[in-house]
Amino acid sequence: MIATPDLIESLSKNLKPIRRLRPPVTRAACWLLLASVVVGLLAVSQGFRPDLATRIYDPSFTAGIIGAILTGVLAAVAAFLVSLPDRSRLWLLLPAPAVALWLTNVGYQCLGDWVSFGTDGVLIGEATRCLATLVLTSLPLSLAMLVMLRYAAPLRPTAVTCMGSLSVAAITATALSLFHSGDATLMIIMFNIGTAVMFVGLGGLFGHRIMQWIAPRPAIRD
Amino acid sequence: MTERNGHPPQLRLVGGGKAGSAGPEPTIRDTDWAILMAHAQDGDRSAYQRLLWEITPYLRSLATRRHRDPSDVEDAVQDILLTVHAIRHTFDPTRPFGPWLVTIANRRFIDRLRRQGRRRDRETPLTSEHETFSEPQANLEERLDRHELEKALDELPPMQRKAVQLLKLKEMSLKEASMASGMSIASLKVNVHRAVKSLRKILGDRSES
Repeated sequence: MIATPDLIESLSKNLKPIRRLRPPVTRAACWLLLASVVVGLLAVSQGFRPDLATRIYDPSFTAGIIGAILTGVLAAVAAFLVSLPDRSRLWLLLPAPAVALWLTNVGYQCLGDWVSFGTDGVLIGEATRCLATLVLTSLPLSLAMLVMLRYAAPLRPTAVTCMGSLSVAAITATALSLFHSGDATLMIIMFNIGTAVMFVGLGGLFGHRIMQWIAPRPAIRD
Repeated sequence: MTERNGHPPQLRLVGGGKAGSAGPEPTIRDTDWAILMAHAQDGDRSAYQRLLWEITPYLRSLATRRHRDPSDVEDAVQDILLTVHAIRHTFDPTRPFGPWLVTIANRRFIDRLRRQGRRRDRETPLTSEHETFSEPQANLEERLDRHELEKALDELPPMQRKAVQLLKLKEMSLKEASMASGMSIASLKVNVHRAVKSLRKILGDRSES
């Protein structure tokens, strides 16, 4: 073990000027810009669902989409705020109202028009295309957020990855609802609650380890 | 710095070297430390060194509340210093320094205590009872087997007995055994080979039976 005075000596001797982080809200906005670019590109390549024009007048569908988008935005802001050591953990509650709006409307949609909850509900061809949308949206966004928040690894890795995953899940659910016509109850649940549970669960389970892996190494000589 | 002009000089007690839990608690000098950190972010080495020197007693007093073992306390302090160094770009000079530092310290303490807890569940510390000795007196439970082996060893020619005792029972290397006995390495090899062969005959080869 190196003695503490020696450690201080070598840390200060090898000090290099660094660039301060931009304010968390600005950085969250940058990430959300990336998210909108990804979703926009997917909209160009895959096209919106054919019945979007009629569905948009369904208040519960629209409220669900707005709730999902709000969840994505607020959870991203919360993730960037909570990643900093001097911000309160209470910011974790920021996306809660949006989550409530999103999930209650999803539930309402399911109860309101209980359509074909059977084998017709899920089409295999559609399901694989859904999977493609899911991966294409979530993968770049998750990686970008991971890199942007890697300094949070020694601080609050689990809370930050859960918030980040919630944001990615909400944006992915929005993309799925916009591009794929799956109004069967099973599809709606899969699109929304499935993605949310999957991403937040993965974030909670593996977030800590992934963060450790990508964390900035506290090297004495850097 | 300049803003302290006009104020009475600030009295501060710092526990010298190793601050015990009963020692006086160093105060947080928030504004000074924030200014020092801001300079350090711009690459000012002396400011950084002063900052680290000043926060160390404070961190040590925080660490003594969580850890009892002095080496744990020092490890924890160094862990925090390294973390502060690794993520010093996350400090915003317009915000107070104290909460920033205390959160980092607390997170590192919790991680360290968790890791220690996990290790305690999985590993057993090595005590003097676990140590083994080459001297027969220490290994009481092996007495029965040993007795039989010793009897067999007594039947061996003296050169072979010596080779087995040094190389197999005391687990010396060939070089060490050669130094201890005065026999050449080649003769040690031959003797130990013959000894093992005849021991096998005396004790009865278990793999064949």
